[in-house]
Amino acid sequence: MTHASSIVWAQWRTLRNYYPRGGVAWTAIVGFIWYGLWTAFSLALIKVFSEAATLPLIPKLLPTALLIVILYWQFIPLLMATTGSSLELKKLRAYPIPNYELFTLEVLLRLTAGIEMVLALIGITIGMTLNPGLPKWVILPALSYVLFNLVIGVGLRDMLGRLLARKRIREVAFFLFVIAAALPQLIITRRLPRLGILRSFAGEPWIGWPWTAASNLMQGVSIAPSAAILLAWILSAFVFSSWQFTRSLRFDADAANASDSSRPPRTMLMERFYRMPSALLPDPMGALIEKEFRFLMRSSRFRLVFLMGFTFGLLIWLPMALGYGGYRYNPLPGGGSTPFFVRNYLTVVSVYSVLLLSEICFWNSFGFDRSAAQFYFLAPIPFSRVLIAKNITSVFFIMLEISVVTVVCALLGMPLDAITLAEAFSVTAVICLFLLSAGNQQSIRQARGVNPANSFRSGAAGRIQAMLLFLYPIAFAPVALAFLARFAFESEAAFFIVLALDAVLGAIVYKFALESAVQAGEKLKEKMIAALSAADGPVSD
Amino acid sequence: MEDITPAIRIQDLRKLYGDKAAVDGLTLTVPQGCFYGFLGPNGAGKTTTIKMLMGLAPPSSGSIELLGMPMPERGLDIKRQIGLVPDESLLFDHLTGAEFIEFVGRIYGIDRQTARERAIELLILFELDNAPRKLIAEYSKGMRKRVAMAAALIHRPKLFLMDEPFEGVDAVGARLMKDILLDQVRRGATIFLTSHVLEVVERLCDRVGIIRSGKLVAEGTMDELRGTAETLEDAFVRAVGVDRVGDRLDWL
Repeated sequence: MTHASSIVWAQWRTLRNYYPRGGVAWTAIVGFIWYGLWTAFSLALIKVFSEAATLPLIPKLLPTALLIVILYWQFIPLLMATTGSSLELKKLRAYPIPNYELFTLEVLLRLTAGIEMVLALIGITIGMTLNPGLPKWVILPALSYVLFNLVIGVGLRDMLGRLLARKRIREVAFFLFVIAAALPQLIITRRLPRLGILRSFAGEPWIGWPWTAASNLMQGVSIAPSAAILLAWILSAFVFSSWQFTRSLRFDADAANASDSSRPPRTMLMERFYRMPSALLPDPMGALIEKEFRFLMRSSRFRLVFLMGFTFGLLIWLPMALGYGGYRYNPLPGGGSTPFFVRNYLTVVSVYSVLLLSEICFWNSFGFDRSAAQFYFLAPIPFSRVLIAKNITSVFFIMLEISVVTVVCALLGMPLDAITLAEAFSVTAVICLFLLSAGNQQSIRQARGVNPANSFRSGAAGRIQAMLLFLYPIAFAPVALAFLARFAFESEAAFFIVLALDAVLGAIVYKFALESAVQAGEKLKEKMIAALSAADGPVSD
Repeated sequence: MEDITPAIRIQDLRKLYGDKAAVDGLTLTVPQGCFYGFLGPNGAGKTTTIKMLMGLAPPSSGSIELLGMPMPERGLDIKRQIGLVPDESLLFDHLTGAEFIEFVGRIYGIDRQTARERAIELLILFELDNAPRKLIAEYSKGMRKRVAMAAALIHRPKLFLMDEPFEGVDAVGARLMKDILLDQVRRGATIFLTSHVLEVVERLCDRVGIIRSGKLVAEGTMDELRGTAETLEDAFVRAVGVDRVGDRLDWL
């Protein structure tokens, strides 16, 4: 593993060189808070699993916990379009590094996609080791389960990475994947006839699953068959992942995305869509927004998160609306017994969609368009126009997203009336005002080059994550006040009056924030352009 | 006894993007110790060819042999013996020049101490030692090319594959790089480079291949290509068949 040490060394130097120029403090703060919470959770797990009184619960509790671990580690990052750190294979392929070394490193890097789960597993393992009623070698199956997750993670990531790199099938594949991932909970929630396979997820665990086998081993139950099953899963994961990894090494995205000249040209419909801003607005604003339309619609990342807004966003909240968590609370007069999540489903999904689109629309609006950033400073137009054009584009696509969400909600038979629609659109608009205000600043001060052709990000910048911890509560606070007013006065009018005041406040904040962002842009343009031009180290973070 | 194995042997190489052939049945041989210039207009297939030689893009069909070994079957052995000056995007921006060269040296199996010493020496040789703490992200285009070439030299390769090595390099830097490359050829190394700067190719290269629309349209020594009283530019323009009439735009 001589190359591995060189790669790790180069990555360490990359981080060391990068962070002093950025916000290491922010990264440390967010890391401390986030992983501190998970460490606390891990300590709680030690306490729970070490109690002798917990012993009767462990056979039920442990397989579910291990199932959650695999779901969190493997599927949630994919659905959130983020997959932790990974090797820059494009750069490393040119060098004489054996594939098995790259594979081993990639396996280890999967830890970055599930550090939280490692902490949770550490808690469970220590707790079980301390439990007098359980075997002391619980760490061995726990480590095997971690290994299984690491190895299968490489295969899944590589397979999806290649699949999603093919622009023709990317969106369809992702859509099917999301539906498949959400189907079990939907079926369970709707109390549809359960299939045997679903029962093993939700009810009695089937011994053949890796989490059941690991759980049995950790408890010292059915040791020989469980060990054989877990070993078989690990070996299968290894074969699958090394096969997928080798295919990824050979994968040529340019060739995969090349189009045949015999294919018909783009439809006029899309061209009309792109031209729409120019038809409505004079240049340069029309030209700027038209360019943004073209760019975003051709960006894989944007299309993916846009699609997720009205697929994954809808599905993730649907079980709550259909039963789980849809508790009977509605302060509105005549609201009857409409469950809270049904009543507010559209608003909840709309806000969630805004969050999904936020990286592109607010926090790093220049990062996806890195080559254009220099042009904006050279062009004979005020920089404020550029920001406003980007903001208008963001608002347009967010409203388009919510319109699609509304249509899908209507198709699902969710209760939609004028007030529901007004609430969803106005709440989103007000939140957008505050997020745009903060986002313009953030896009200039924390600009970061991102490849728009990548379907999913490997991980958000620590500084951005840290800022969001503070910015989201501030941006959402005015809207929360409106909901509070509705609750306190039991009146829709109170809700909309407070929301209107929020909108006025948001407009004022936006105006001042825009002026400040323009000044910052002028002052920091050199740093900003340099940040947008920079590429990653041997491992992309 | 002299090694007569060609440094590069390409047979009927083809690379398809959809139904378009970026490289279309390319066959060429580069003898060892040769300074080979690979020319062509924009989009002719030069970079695609060099990417296939570097193992960064798999060919659709055809065969590649470097230093007598088939690519990609013996990719690892080949890569150990070649020096790359690739596309700029393959540099690691958040490393300093010395760190990058040391990293490349260690990847090629040189021990850490030696790699560090050679990195510093190469940095001095390429006149990049003035700002040792400067990150590659902060380098100018010419400095990026220089650091890429310095890194390519660290393991004393037998074959160099270079994609536009002189692009953006100033006259002094270009002169320095040319001298180093000529010295390498004198020591028996083979250089295969793509370039748009015909004067450089004319001065440095023993043999030249000209590619157009993925096909080799001319190949030979400099004298063979130029014929009588022609510059390489004339020969190049003739070979790539520039027949566009210089239309005038009314408003221009």
